[in-house]
Amino acid sequence: MQEDRQLKSSLKEIDDLKAALDEHAIVAITDPQGKITYVNDKFCAISKYARQELLGQDHRIINSGHHPKEFIRDLWTTIGQGKVWKGEIKNKAKDGSFYWVDTTIVPFLNGDGKPRQFVAIRADITARKDAEMASARLAAIVEFSHDAIIGKDLNSVVISWNKGAEKIFGYTAGEMVGASITRLIPADRQDEENQILGNIKRGETLEHFETLRQTKDGRLIDVSVTASPIKDAAGNIIGVSKMARDITESKRAQEARRASEASYRTLFDYAPDGIVIADSQSFYLDANASMCRMLGYSREELIGLNASDIVAKKEIQHIGPALSEIGGKSDHHREWQFRRKDGSVFDAEVIATKVPDGNLLGVIRDITERKEAQAKIHHLNSELEQRVIERTAQLEAANKELEAFSYSVSHDLRAPLRAVDGFSQAVLEDYGPQLPEGCREELQTIRNGAQRMEQLIDDLLTFSRLSRLPLSKSAVDTGKLVRSVLGELNYIQKNRQIDVSIADLPPCQADPALLKQVWLNLLSNALKYTGKRKEALVEIGCVQAKGQNVYFVRDNGTGFDMKYAHKLFGVFQRLHRAEDYEGTGVGLAIVQRIIHRHGGRVWAESTVNGGATFYFTMEGENKL
Amino acid sequence: MNETTIVEILLVEDNPQDLRLTQRALIKANLANHIHVARDGQEALEFIFCEGEYAGRKIENAPKVILLDLKLPKVDGKEVLERIKSDPRTKMIPVVVLTSSKEQSDVVESYHLGVNSYIVKPVNFEGFAAAVQQLGMYWLLHNQPPKLAE
Repeated sequence: MQEDRQLKSSLKEIDDLKAALDEHAIVAITDPQGKITYVNDKFCAISKYARQELLGQDHRIINSGHHPKEFIRDLWTTIGQGKVWKGEIKNKAKDGSFYWVDTTIVPFLNGDGKPRQFVAIRADITARKDAEMASARLAAIVEFSHDAIIGKDLNSVVISWNKGAEKIFGYTAGEMVGASITRLIPADRQDEENQILGNIKRGETLEHFETLRQTKDGRLIDVSVTASPIKDAAGNIIGVSKMARDITESKRAQEARRASEASYRTLFDYAPDGIVIADSQSFYLDANASMCRMLGYSREELIGLNASDIVAKKEIQHIGPALSEIGGKSDHHREWQFRRKDGSVFDAEVIATKVPDGNLLGVIRDITERKEAQAKIHHLNSELEQRVIERTAQLEAANKELEAFSYSVSHDLRAPLRAVDGFSQAVLEDYGPQLPEGCREELQTIRNGAQRMEQLIDDLLTFSRLSRLPLSKSAVDTGKLVRSVLGELNYIQKNRQIDVSIADLPPCQADPALLKQVWLNLLSNALKYTGKRKEALVEIGCVQAKGQNVYFVRDNGTGFDMKYAHKLFGVFQRLHRAEDYEGTGVGLAIVQRIIHRHGGRVWAESTVNGGATFYFTMEGENKL
Repeated sequence: MNETTIVEILLVEDNPQDLRLTQRALIKANLANHIHVARDGQEALEFIFCEGEYAGRKIENAPKVILLDLKLPKVDGKEVLERIKSDPRTKMIPVVVLTSSKEQSDVVESYHLGVNSYIVKPVNFEGFAAAVQQLGMYWLLHNQPPKLAE
């Protein structure tokens, strides 16, 4: 009975202990194979399984997969050797949620030292684990934040200093923790710290306070500061948490943007071209002063109007296609006719494009003046053309008249001369013997005059013909031409010696018949004006000057006084008396006319009795 | 025999002085016996084609040579020349243009129209007389004309 009572009392004690254990801990017992043979209520509660679901299962039922295999193996090795295992395990409840338990597994051994069963006693530590995780996460956030996150006490002594703070201010945590925050504050802003502390002590939070701070290397940077009180569990303010962001770059960017916006605004306001901003349906959102002036609307009137309100009626149909063109991302460039508020229209050049926000930007230039200028140029051109046609007609008419005049001269002017000459001769023939002394000579003089007049008429007609006939240029072998002219002149005379030297003469481009006339006149002049020399010298040559052939004929004849050189090439101009050298004074005028018609120049150099040289230029053969 | 049937030279000349000088030159060369003078182009055509005043003439009694001035009243010398040379009945009559003009256009055109000779009258009377005498001698005495009469 005693034993019984003792046993009973022992059992009662065990039951009490067990009850107390069940109250406090999560208990499970497994067999040596790991099969669950007992779970208490707390186990069921935390694992959310019913007891029947657990019994006979092993612990894999609540395996979270969190722990590595080595961890599990270590556990089993420990308890397999009969040793107690302690550790923290993450388990998975039936509903999939996780929970952490602080676990002690005690193996109970049988007689031969092999585990008989394992008793696992666990305590729920999920709340602590979650708190630890949250705090680790926060620490990581704080640590790796780009912003400076600083903790300090109410005396401004730094308690914590993250990597962001190191990066922004240049000080390491080692340098700052324990130091005063005031070393970051520029000398002229030291008051700020007291003000911030004042706010914090009153329990206020300071948000996005923009100020300047000094870095370790002395730079002043723009920072945005947010400060809030740190309270202890009892709610007493024990410190300040401070977040500071370097806004130097963003401030600079903001400044740049403001400056850029300002300059664009100025451009917009003062641009001489009209500028409008419209939505995608071409309703105007803004317009500049030039646009308003062009159209006669105020800015307020213009905003809200549609493109169809300000283009000419006939243009309205083109707005749709233009909008789809711009919508299709290609720029629109075209001339449009616009309609002012007063209904008048004007032409403008439009360039429109889509801006990134989806609106349309249009630049409009009034081209009325340009159009007028174009019209004026067009008008002037056609006037000029008309004038050219008229002048050409006048010239042609003048040429025709000249031709008719020449024709008439050719036919009619000779007949009277023939009468003068013929009847003078008739008188001489019929009445010769009866004529008084000297009369025969006078009649002969009359005849001479008539014959000379015929020569003048012939020369004049030749000269006039040269102006009228068209040039027909071809390559001319100048040397051959000169020799043939000399042959025609048949200059060899018995009573005097005439030396003619011909240098190498390059070919040229000319009208062969006219060029022949030039050489004929120049060479016959040379022969004529050396007529009084016993030994006449005529030199024919060519020199190159500025890419042109300069041909010349030089003689040692009587020459002329250079002060009359300007008269040399005039029609009927003579520098010698007719009784000394016969001639009509047309030869050199003909030469000049022909050379000028070929675009060349002709000139002469001479001294009295020192001979003369006549030069003329003519295009070389290679020019054509 | 009618006076006009034995015409050897038809002289077409409007200028009276030139006419007298030409006649003088022909007389001196003894060629003036059978000259007929027409004073303008129309008269020349009427004579040659036996029309109007000359309707009684026979066309086959053509002159041996026609001395034709170019610048003539009414119908000018080139038209006369063209009419003569484009008519099969008259185109074989030798025509000599005797003119003041040295214009190339006149010379070329005359030859195009079929002239037999083109003589420019010189101002110098000896030259003029020589030219007239030579061409008279040539066409009247030396030249062998085809038989015109059928």
